[in-house]
Amino acid sequence: MTQCRLLKTFQNRSSRRKEALICDRSRKDGPRKWSLLTSAAEVGLGTSPRPLRLVVPVSGSLILFVLLLLSGCMKRPSTLSPLPGSASGTAPGFNGGGGLTRSAVPMTPLGADEVWILARGDQTKNEAADDMPGSGALMAKLEEKMVEMPLKHTDVRASVNGYLGSVEVIQKFHNPYSSKIEAVYVFPLPHNAAVNEFIMTIGDRRIRGIIRERTEAERIYQDAKQQGYVASLLTEERPNLFTQSVANIEPGKEIDVNIRYFHTLDYVDGWYEFVFPMVVGPRFNPPGMTNGIGSAARGQQGVTGQTTEVQYLRPHERTSHDISLELDVEASVAIEQFECRTHQVISEAASPSHVTVSLNPLDTLPNKDLVFRYRVAGDRIKSALVAHRDDRGGFFTLMLYPPQEIQEMPRQPLELVFVLDCSGSMNGRPIAQAKAAIERGLGLLQRGDSFQLITFSTTASQFGDKPLEATPENVRSGLRYLRSVNSEGGTMMIEGIKAALDFRHDPRRVRFVCFLTDGFIGNETQILGAIHERLGASRIFSFGIGSSVNRYLLDHMARQGRGAVAYLGLKDSAAQIMEDFFERISHPAMTDLAVDWGALHVTEIFPRELPDLFSGRPVILTGRYSGQAVSAIHVNGKAAGQPLQVAIPATSGGATATHPALPSVWARMKIADLTEQSTYAPDPELPDAIKQVALDYSLMSAFTAFVAVDSSRRTEGTEGTTVPVAVPVPEGVKYDTTVEEK
Amino acid sequence: MKVAWRIVYLAIFALMVFGQAAELRAQQPATEEGRSRFRTIDIFIDSRSTPLAAYQVEFEATNGVVKIVGIEGGEPEAFRHPPVYDPKAIQRDRVIIASFSTATASTLPRGKTRVATIHIQVSGDQEPKFEIKLQTAGDSQGHKISAQATFEERKAP
Repeated sequence: MTQCRLLKTFQNRSSRRKEALICDRSRKDGPRKWSLLTSAAEVGLGTSPRPLRLVVPVSGSLILFVLLLLSGCMKRPSTLSPLPGSASGTAPGFNGGGGLTRSAVPMTPLGADEVWILARGDQTKNEAADDMPGSGALMAKLEEKMVEMPLKHTDVRASVNGYLGSVEVIQKFHNPYSSKIEAVYVFPLPHNAAVNEFIMTIGDRRIRGIIRERTEAERIYQDAKQQGYVASLLTEERPNLFTQSVANIEPGKEIDVNIRYFHTLDYVDGWYEFVFPMVVGPRFNPPGMTNGIGSAARGQQGVTGQTTEVQYLRPHERTSHDISLELDVEASVAIEQFECRTHQVISEAASPSHVTVSLNPLDTLPNKDLVFRYRVAGDRIKSALVAHRDDRGGFFTLMLYPPQEIQEMPRQPLELVFVLDCSGSMNGRPIAQAKAAIERGLGLLQRGDSFQLITFSTTASQFGDKPLEATPENVRSGLRYLRSVNSEGGTMMIEGIKAALDFRHDPRRVRFVCFLTDGFIGNETQILGAIHERLGASRIFSFGIGSSVNRYLLDHMARQGRGAVAYLGLKDSAAQIMEDFFERISHPAMTDLAVDWGALHVTEIFPRELPDLFSGRPVILTGRYSGQAVSAIHVNGKAAGQPLQVAIPATSGGATATHPALPSVWARMKIADLTEQSTYAPDPELPDAIKQVALDYSLMSAFTAFVAVDSSRRTEGTEGTTVPVAVPVPEGVKYDTTVEEK
Repeated sequence: MKVAWRIVYLAIFALMVFGQAAELRAQQPATEEGRSRFRTIDIFIDSRSTPLAAYQVEFEATNGVVKIVGIEGGEPEAFRHPPVYDPKAIQRDRVIIASFSTATASTLPRGKTRVATIHIQVSGDQEPKFEIKLQTAGDSQGHKISAQATFEERKAP
């Protein structure tokens, strides 16, 4: 039976809660537990219906340490003080900058029992992260501590029509603390998302954000923040990584930010995939880099030295932020099958072509990508054009499927180079999945093929001096090598790129380089530039391994490498994904594509360089057009030296505007194309070109940002304290091997 | 000798004072409040007795340095959602906003109605002057109606 002794009750002035410190005396031998009980009866902020309980295991040495650490606090009154509204900087609870933290002060008399008061003072940098500012709304238990976050909830409402998705993301911020805050949240979106709407909601008032040049938007936001106006700013750090800042959120107030984007769905081996990323994986930045994505422990802002930083919850912490998602799919043709392997969902088939899906309320922790897949009826999907015309002119997208003929063409000898990421973030289940996939790949090699195994983390190493013939002995030897590798250290992917691409091509074989990685790096530009520079005759197939991989990097590695991308989740079959890959490369690709647009006058088609067409992998082209599509479009190319042609019936829709998302999708593709150019051919005019497209189409980009200011009311006091929204590490990723603790 | 020391002390003192003043200046916001301030402009349309279902308005400052930093929806439910704006016009800080409602005529606003609010940032010493032009307004049948657009700068509370 638990025996508890009441040590101290006190009133938390900042949150108007009654709190009590008790000691669990029932455990004489084991670590004693100390509990801070918070009465919900007088809760002013937060709405927990039951007492909130913090349980802290205390060992004798820890007590001694804390008593020594805090001996300087003896003269200070053990009071609870509200969060000081520091003029700038980060919440003291987050970077130890002073202010409201929990500290322990010995209470007289000091006898046999350890007697503490949990108090909030303005000191103790190292313990800052253990508490949140001001409210006493911290919810905790020994096994998994709930950490109150200024981002309360994310609501996602998505619809899919054909292969075009429209998604509205509503981020609900609140201030559970006793003084004003600025909330900062780094979050992912699909890298091909055309973000074109931003609305800040305060109560029932909705303020549309304005797209502006990034530096100008940042300046407006800073001015508004400093003058006490509620304001929000959305900036792009990477094509799939954004920062949301909301300034001057007053205590107890809520502010919603609505973001809307359009994107095209991927089509993989007969399945359309809708992906919604929920968390940013912890990134590795090479030494000397400062414009990467830093990964810091909660409360340790600035330790990584990177311009963008994500704070991660520790393994025993759980965020109070949750997520809901609703997806409505209208496929226009009968849906044969659908599935979601990543999350528990509730789905309903409203009609043969219409499915609605919602996230199960039991699966609302935002720590992995949601992937929903559906397969439509028909043996073979046909290439098709969809178009839209408005006062800006005509826009189209063309999903181009490979012709059936290439399925019947014979297999060519292969030179397969498997490049395995063995860095710390791959530790555990991800590396096991990657190894299983390679193992299956080695098993699928045939006589006449050759292979090489390369691993990289801080450095790169390889199985053989050169690719080896795929004899049974060599394959067995390769398997032994594969099983011996471990995952630890940094992600110097550039070393893997060099090792994989910097050796002579065997002209008798088609070389495929397979990268198996989570892509958790901050130097994407360097990697993509290196691929462009060194590719030669190789084709790169990238495999994203894990629950929340860097899809921007993986997709663009494959695109630059003129191959294709595949994703292997933690619950997917590694063997299956490799078999699908072998099925793809066992048939020659359709290369040297050229499109005869017929009567359509077509301009500005993206991607600028037409990619090769592999079995099971269509490509999406988007462009502008004028004139009427009265005749079929013909795509000409070659496969295994033989000429091939695909005919596409073209109906541009004339004046009927049925796809209003297309101008945004086209502009996003143009921005992606210009951004890609800048990775291998830096041009001082490219940023201006990107910025102008983004401004003309109201789109987010690296050089534009959305800003919204409520000028109607000035909040009281200074600009408040910055509170970063800490996030969990993605499912399957180990905190200890990825996040910097200082 | 004493004079020399006094000069040294004075120089050190002056440097400290100057340094502190410089530090204080550095701590001040990049744009001082007196030079950069935020204002709220309410946009009204008076459709008299006709229900207002759609409008398009052009609003701009004719002088001064003005940046549009937010566009808010109006007072009646029919126009509560913020109007859309022309992205090309706003690059020159001239805003063309438009909105419509598919509500029934009986629920649409009549008379003078606040249909939107423009949030702006004004920089520099010059007080801006504004101009508004109603480009079009319509009723629930899609017919063009006669109406008048006006604006009022909201007084700080």
